[in-house]
This record gives sequence, C-alpha cells and structure tokens, in this order.
Amino acid sequence: MVTEPLPRKPDIAHVRKETGVIRESAGYRVFRVVNAVALLLVCAVTLYPFVNLVAKAFSSEGHIAAGEVNLVPRGFNLETFRVVFADDLFWTNYANTFLYTAVGTVIAMAITSTYAYALSKPHLKGRSFFVGIAVFTMFFGGGLIPNYILVATYLGWRNSMWAVVVPGALSVFNLLVMKAFFENFPAELEEAAAIDGLTTYGIFLRIVLPLSKAVLATMTLFYAVGLWNSWFAAFLYMDDKSLFPVTVYLRNLIAAATGTQEITDGGEAVQVAANIQAVTMLLTVLPIICLYPFIQRYFVSGVMLGSVKG
Amino acid sequence: MPITRRALVGLAGVAAAEVALSGCTDGPTDDTAGPLTIDDAHSVGAMDDFGVGVTFKATEPVEFSLMYRDHTNYPVKDDWSVFHRFAEDHNVTFSRTDIPMADFDQKKALLIGSGEATDIISVTYGGSETQFITGGAILPVSSYFDYLPNFQQKIKDWGLEADLQNKRQADGRIYHLPGVREAPDVQYSVVIREDLWERAGVTEDPATWEEFQAQLQMVKDANPEIDYPMSDRWTDSTTLGSFLSLMATNYDTVAGWGYANTFYDEDAGKYVFSGTTDEYREVVAYAAGLVEAGLLDPEVTQSDDQAVQKFISGRSATISGNTQTLAEYRTKFADSGAGDVPIRLISIPGGPAGSKLPSGRFTSGILIGSKAAEQPYFKALLQFVDWLYYSDEGLEFAQWGVEGETFTRGADGTRVLNEDIAWSSINAGAPKLLNADYGYSNGVFCLANGSSKDLVFSMMTEEIADWTERQLDGKEQVPTAPAPLLDEIELEQTSLLQTQLTDAVQAATAGFITGQRSVDDDWDAYVAEIDSLGASQLIDTVNTALERAKTAE
Repeated sequence: MVTEPLPRKPDIAHVRKETGVIRESAGYRVFRVVNAVALLLVCAVTLYPFVNLVAKAFSSEGHIAAGEVNLVPRGFNLETFRVVFADDLFWTNYANTFLYTAVGTVIAMAITSTYAYALSKPHLKGRSFFVGIAVFTMFFGGGLIPNYILVATYLGWRNSMWAVVVPGALSVFNLLVMKAFFENFPAELEEAAAIDGLTTYGIFLRIVLPLSKAVLATMTLFYAVGLWNSWFAAFLYMDDKSLFPVTVYLRNLIAAATGTQEITDGGEAVQVAANIQAVTMLLTVLPIICLYPFIQRYFVSGVMLGSVKG
Repeated sequence: MPITRRALVGLAGVAAAEVALSGCTDGPTDDTAGPLTIDDAHSVGAMDDFGVGVTFKATEPVEFSLMYRDHTNYPVKDDWSVFHRFAEDHNVTFSRTDIPMADFDQKKALLIGSGEATDIISVTYGGSETQFITGGAILPVSSYFDYLPNFQQKIKDWGLEADLQNKRQADGRIYHLPGVREAPDVQYSVVIREDLWERAGVTEDPATWEEFQAQLQMVKDANPEIDYPMSDRWTDSTTLGSFLSLMATNYDTVAGWGYANTFYDEDAGKYVFSGTTDEYREVVAYAAGLVEAGLLDPEVTQSDDQAVQKFISGRSATISGNTQTLAEYRTKFADSGAGDVPIRLISIPGGPAGSKLPSGRFTSGILIGSKAAEQPYFKALLQFVDWLYYSDEGLEFAQWGVEGETFTRGADGTRVLNEDIAWSSINAGAPKLLNADYGYSNGVFCLANGSSKDLVFSMMTEEIADWTERQLDGKEQVPTAPAPLLDEIELEQTSLLQTQLTDAVQAATAGFITGQRSVDDDWDAYVAEIDSLGASQLIDTVNTALERAKTAE
C-alpha cells in the first residue's frame, strides 16, 4: 500500500496573508484588540504595586513624601538598604523565616503525602472516617484561646519553633488534592512492584513518590509560600522578638506606622520612613519571587492533576 | 464508618462545649467591693513606711511579670538604663513578655483569656478592661486603693474624683488604673501653610469655624495653583476622624474619632442618640458645605500618606495635624527640597457651643492580673506601681531619667536634657535617643506621657508649649458625663446595636460630606434608617442603666 504523507496542517495565518481569502472578520479583529488591551491593563494593575515598591526602595525619602515616585526611582540611593542591612534583628528574623519554612515544609510534606497515600487506597478500613476527621477541621476549629492553651500550655511550645511548624502541618485542601492524585495512580505499577518484592513503604518511596513529582512540587510550593508568608502563629506563641520570622518584623514596621488615634496618642506616634518600609518588603518577597518562575510550570499542571477523575 | 450528619452534629456539640468550658475560668471569689487588706504572707519586699514623698525601694529583690508593649520606635533592650535603675535603685526586675505594638491588644486579650495574665499589663486604654472582667483574670484594683497613697493624692489634688467614679464597672469596682493628667490633653488641630495663607491676607487664626471657612475661601482665591485649600488625613478608617472630632466639641456633640452613639445631654440629664441630633447635623452640614464649595478635598477615603503628599507638594494648603506631626511635616518639606516652608498649628476655632475642650484627663493606663494578689510580693507590687506611675518622683524618673545621667537641673529648677541625647524635637539630631537608647519617656512606664502640667510642658519645644498654653488658657473642659453601668446582659445586647449603628452613622456621614446624599433633602430618611436599626432601643437601655446607677448612689 502506498501511503501518502499527510499534507501539512495549513498555517492559517500564513494562508490568510498569502491568499487574502480567509480574512478575519471585523468583529474578531475588534475582539483581539480589546482583548489585548484588557489583558495589558490587568498586567499593568497587577505589576504597578511591585514596580512602585521597587522604585520607592531606591528613592530618597523626600521624593516619596512629595509623592513624586511612581515607576522610576527619584533621588536614587542605596542608603536605605544599608540602614536595613545594619539591623541585626532583621537578619535574625530572616534566618528564622528560612528555618521555619524549611522545617515546616518537610514536616507538612511528610504528613500530607503519607496520609494522602493511605487514604487513596479503597481497601483501607475506616477510610471515610479518616477522611471525615480531616474534613471536619475545615469547618470547625477550637477557637483562638483553646488553641493557645493547647499549644502553649499543654504542649509547652511557647517560644518554640514547633508551635509554628506543627499545628498547620496538614492542609486539608492539599490533602484532598493529593489523595485524588494518588487515586489515579496506575495500580498496575504498584502491583508489579509488589510482585517484585517491594513492601508497602518501598512501593511508596521508590515507585509512587518518584512518579509524583508534579504534585509534590506543587504541594511543596503551597506549603513553603504559606509558611514564608505566615506571621500569626509566630506572633501568638513567641514572646521573644529574636524568634520572630521576618514577616512579624515587617508587620511591625508597617502596621504600627499606619495606626490611627490610639497609637498616635501622647507623643507615641510611629514614624517609619516609607523607603525603609519599601526596602523591607522588597527583601521579604524577593526569595519567593525568585522561586516562582522555576516551579510555576509544575504549579499549574500539579493543581490540575487531581482535578479530573476518570 | 461513614460520617453521618448526626455524627457530625454530635462532634460539633462536643467541640462547642469544650470551647465554652475552656473559655471561662473562676470568677472573683470575694463578693465584697470594699477595701481589702494584705497580710504579711503577701508583703515580701514591701516597705513599712511607704507613703507620699517616699522613694520606693523593695526591702529585698523582687521580680514582677510584665506584659511589655514593644514600641517600633524604641525596641526594648535589656541593657537600658531604665532597667538598671529599677534593679539597682528600687530592687525591682521584670520577667517580660514582649509584644509588638502593632497587635498588642490582640495578644494581650489572648494571654488574659488563656489565664496567662501577668502581674502588670501595660498600655491599656480605659474601657477595654470591660471584656476581661467576667473572666476574673483582672484584679479589681479599687479594693486596694488604700495601698496607693500617691494615686489617691493625685486624684484629689487634680480634681479627678468624678472621672474616677466613672470607671466603676457594673459590679461597682474599678479594674483599670489610668494614667492621670493635671491639664487636659490637647494635641490636635489644623496645620496651615503660612505662606499660602498670608498670600490671601490671612494672618490671624480664625476664632470660629465659620471664619475658618471664609479663610479657606480666601486661600482658594489667592492661590489658583492649588487643587484644594484643604485635603485631610486621618480619614481612611473614620471619615475626617480628627477634623470632625475637633469641631464637634464646639458644636456640643461628638463626631469623627470621638464619635459615640450615646451622648449625654446635660440639660435633660439623660443620654440621646448622637448621630441624629441637630448638633451632629450641623457638623456634617458644615463639612459637606466645605466640600461643595471646593474648599475641602472630597477624597475622604485617602490614606494619610496621600494626604500628606498633597500637603508637602503644595497641592493643598491645610491638613489636620498635632503637636508631633508639625516636626514630621517640616522634615518632609526639607527632604522634598521645598526648603523651610513656614507652617503652624492654628488655635482650635470655636463654634455655636463656645470654645471648649473635650472632657477627660485620664490617659492609657495599666491593669494588674488577679493572680498577682496571690504572690508573696503583692504589696510591694502595688507600692511600686503607685510610686512609678503616680508619685512626682516616679513620674519625673519615667519621663526624664536620672539627674546627672540623662539630664541636669538649672538653678531655677528647669531640666535640661544632656546635649548628646535627643527626644522628639529637643536636641534633634543628637547621637542618642532618650527612649531608644535609655528606655525613658517610654509609654510602658510613662503612661502616654501624661502627668503633671510641669512635666508635660517640660518636654515641649517653645512653639508647642506656647500653642498648648493658648489652648488651655482660653478654653474650658466639657464636664465628664455620668457613666451608665450596664450589666453583662445589657452589654451583650447593646454591643451588636452599637456596631451596626456606628457603621450606619459613619457611612451616612461620609455620604453626606461627599455629596452623595444631601443634608437638606435626605436627613429625615437617614434618621428613619437609624431608628429602624435600633437607636431608641440602645438609648432606652443606656438611660435605664443610668437611672439605676443614680438611685444606687
């Protein structure tokens, strides 16, 4: 049988240009313009605060006070960075953030992936109960004070890293996404591994996990970003500022300076220069901004992974 | 096991009961509101001869637990002079829980609610103690007033008895130890750019708000390049918070920051709903008139930064300010390259109700945890608190530090801060700061910088002292209104009403001022709306409680 090579798929844009036959309708062209403009606007709105922040970080206080700084730094200076770098507390807190994020992410991933894997097995006895007790926490919480008493008093984790990294270690949303992912994992692979002599743990660690990089990367990013940005737990359980993460440091610079009457009472007004705020914010988001582009491709595919069953 | 709905409800019930149980601790054990005595077992370190004019020094070292409000401008340091002095001169050390000021109130409430209240709970505003009383974690300090001789003397000497009576809670006791001021606290007014105002030929401060409006008009006419003669700050959380509050006193009402739903009508001897009174309407109509005439920037939701930027860049000529922001504005003018722009705080203009100052001479204060009463050093703690916050010596120490170390005293008794130490506008640019490097003039030990008139003025620049003196001279304080003592159930009932009414009044106020609603046409509709939200129910409850308090006396 003679097989003819299939004709190449026509390049519509090329054909249009060459022949002038298939023309875009006027409506479509209008749509494309409007669409592009709208999306560019969305981009601009999203990017503006970031660019403005960067511009402020490199500007002099006076130009910021006069409202002259928009997209380009005015009165360029690096002095502000020097001032912020000179604060030991900033670096201590920055290091804490790294530590809490790293340890917290490891704990969270260990708990979430093992729990999700176990739940993904239909033959698990009491499976719906185990799903139930996890889902229950999405709707009910003990409340702030009981939580505090539990963590600080009964567990004795006041001024301890564990108070920050353990209580939030299981995100039920992440658990369910992962569970759905593992449910779609081909059972044949696991059976083959079992026949070849791997134990349950062996299957999980040597077969399932290496083939689940997308979902693992996504969950790691979710947890890491969450922990990086979190400040409340540390604020609650830490009484010593050398234990704070950098987010609490940042919050004190910004929230205290924007307080109203009560805080400005009696010679107690807080004045933190706008450029110091900008530099601190910039330094705080920098690691996450640097990380995002590299993980983002997993991010989208990973989130979609668990979502379609079948 | 499948999760049935019934199982979930059961679990929820258990969880709810748990919350309810852990939320409450033992209430106060004694039922007497009268004075109590402290036995020897709780007098470790206490002085036998403590009294007015005696310097407190514990007879043996004592350590008090302290919830410390950590201020962003002067982060706490263990090696501060103030801590050395406490330890060496007074035998007092602290085990501190440092809480950043940004969320101080939240963590304070959490710790108190969890039974972790410390001996001394710093920087607490009057009224906020009410929420903690039923939990029993706060000491009813009125039972121990006999141990606070300096406090009692200040209350008597400065005529604060009526204000103190007002601090009584529904059980007749006082829980909050306030900071006390000899002279009323006046800090807020309106800051003008003198150069732009002089161009309009205005050199005198306006005597009334009417005159202020006329002057704004002249400034607008004489300076066509500015956007608005006035663009205000402190307006993002409460519309024109400072400006309306400033004005309201002289219209015999409350507004802006000072707004409260209930306002005491002296003549009638009872409370009325503030937001619908004719006086409140006048204030709102005045501000709306300013916006309508193009004299006030209608951007009443702008941030402080935006408003200040307009002022600094010369797009507006007037902005709200206080005695500290004058320095802030000057620095910003200098930084922006505009140079030495002349600005000043104007005298607070009068209104239809005359020229008055708001009532009240209590500032933020402290609470004492009820567990402190079980400590062996309880009596020493009370003596220390009394000495530090209420004795002349303690007040000066907290404000100025120690003579020879941080300041010197001239022949006429005036205190002079050492040259290498700066505080606020004094010795600006000096290498050290009185608060950040020494720990004095610290809001935790020196309550809102409020104390004797002499001490308050001693820390002011000549300009500010002059302005403050003029305000105090010509103006009388509005008398303190009697406090209705709402019981727990009434508080619960009214708190919901309070929130929704305040929100509705503030939203409508913003609407009227920006011109979305017309004061002339829509006022009646607004009054009806407020009534339907339960304004009269609130007023009835408050007035009933007021009657009850009156008959109880």
